[in-house]
Amino acid sequence: MTSVSRVLAVWLTPAVMLALPAALAARGPDGLWLGLVVTLAPLIALGLAARPPAPPPGGAVGAGEMLFPVVTLLITVGVLLWANIALAGDVAAWLGARRWQGIVIAAAAGWLLTAWRPLRRSAPLLLAVAFAAALVALLQLAWALGLGPVAAWDRVANQSAFRFPPSSPWVISGRDLAAVRGSAPLVFDEVHRLTAPAGGVLRARTRDATRLAEIEWTLAPGQTVTLRAGDEITRGSTLRLRFEADKRVPGAPPSGMAWAEGRPRRWLERAGLAVTLLAGAAALLRAGLTPRLGRDGAGFVAGGLLLAFVWAQAWAVYAMIQAPDLFLGGVTLERLLELPAPALFAAPWRRTLQALLLAAGLAAFLASSLALRERLGALDSTGGGEIGHDPGLWAGLFGGAALASLWPVDPWALSLLALGGAGCALGPAALWPPRRGRAATTAGVAGLLVFASLAAAQLRGSSGGLLGAAIAYPALIAAPAGAFVLWLGRRVRG
Amino acid sequence: MRSVTTRTTGVVLLVLLLAGFLLLGALPNQVAGIRVAGLSLLWWYGGVLAPVMAVLVAIRWLADPLPAPPLDE
Repeated sequence: MTSVSRVLAVWLTPAVMLALPAALAARGPDGLWLGLVVTLAPLIALGLAARPPAPPPGGAVGAGEMLFPVVTLLITVGVLLWANIALAGDVAAWLGARRWQGIVIAAAAGWLLTAWRPLRRSAPLLLAVAFAAALVALLQLAWALGLGPVAAWDRVANQSAFRFPPSSPWVISGRDLAAVRGSAPLVFDEVHRLTAPAGGVLRARTRDATRLAEIEWTLAPGQTVTLRAGDEITRGSTLRLRFEADKRVPGAPPSGMAWAEGRPRRWLERAGLAVTLLAGAAALLRAGLTPRLGRDGAGFVAGGLLLAFVWAQAWAVYAMIQAPDLFLGGVTLERLLELPAPALFAAPWRRTLQALLLAAGLAAFLASSLALRERLGALDSTGGGEIGHDPGLWAGLFGGAALASLWPVDPWALSLLALGGAGCALGPAALWPPRRGRAATTAGVAGLLVFASLAAAQLRGSSGGLLGAAIAYPALIAAPAGAFVLWLGRRVRG
Repeated sequence: MRSVTTRTTGVVLLVLLLAGFLLLGALPNQVAGIRVAGLSLLWWYGGVLAPVMAVLVAIRWLADPLPAPPLDE
């Protein structure tokens, strides 16, 4: 049971958990594909080749050969912590607190838990708390709405448009545009009157017949401006804005049907995502380990993954019904941790449910931190697992991640980068262990180099076709490249 | 030897479950969009059927016959 909770906690970090409803809401069937792959990838990785590698004929594996997987996994764990601590900062900023407050709470609690020996075995309890709290919030939302998940999906898929509800904070008091971190353009589909309650500078790109114009308004407190269909608020406007109720949300899909059916299928991108997560699961759950799960264990792991996926689907559709303003500027992870029903509950109960959601997120993060620490320690066979118990090292990891989190990043993109990198470096050898560690190291370095080269190309932008998919998901090319080098190494060494 | 074969069966079934989603989405005439009891076929498959089948596959084929030691041992 303990190993079950560790597998779940290592895999289902808060950034991954919230990426599911975010992708489901933003991309419909593409999000469903992500959820299915996240659910099945760990099972496939755990099911592949359970045999441990045979010891090399010349003796024990050298320390140098163990160094590569340990360092790679250490960096992976650091990046995963960074992604989740950055998410804590995003959540704090979205809910009106200071970004650094969320970061300090998450990083300090994570470090304390990993450093304090009596609490090191609390990952299963924390994971159970996270699941229970998230489920209670979901069930309460479903009960208050009087809709089951299937009926809720049906209602979303039949909506003619996603419009600002009168109870939306964007309508009642307005919100700061700087809080919108998504990358979707803020293009209006119909005439929309915007109010700046506190005034400020609003920059927009307006369309007059076929002519585009950049306009900047300096608005007095309470002043309004009207934008027409096709006009766009440009990024960089940081004033508080109030939107009109019952108007289409800029950036939302045209209709519920368009959301449910999704965009044209992008096969290569889907394959790239699957390869990235499969290789990442192999590295995180299998590298240097031979986990064995009994029938109950396999059932609990698969059941936990199923429960998480069902929660993500239900949470996404309830959020889209109650808070379609989720789409404003693009769906981002931190918005999914805000209770999507400001008018559905009375104030004390609303605050309690919001606190429950935050507790679920924090408990999931702490469980993941503990599980990642134990995972890293398990790989350090030569040092007796010391790397998992070194308070200085973990203080450095949490401190570095916290410092890096002060600058906003996309937690899901960072998690995907960590999983892809680790997958290319360690995945092939984890699934197909060679008899000599040197072949694994060579293949890992080759895979990592290809991955890093393609990931660096992301900075120059992406194109279509295979090259575009390879740049968007470097593991699509890098993982097979690493596997090929491993195969060559095995053949050369006989 | 038998456990390896059993696991391989499980892994193949899980990969087929993933492939099924892609195939269903590729069917012509928007077959995947047909609504059955409130959900489209694609969402029934990807959101309900395939994950539930995965649990059954994991219980039946991925379990190890040996007792489960902790992950870090």
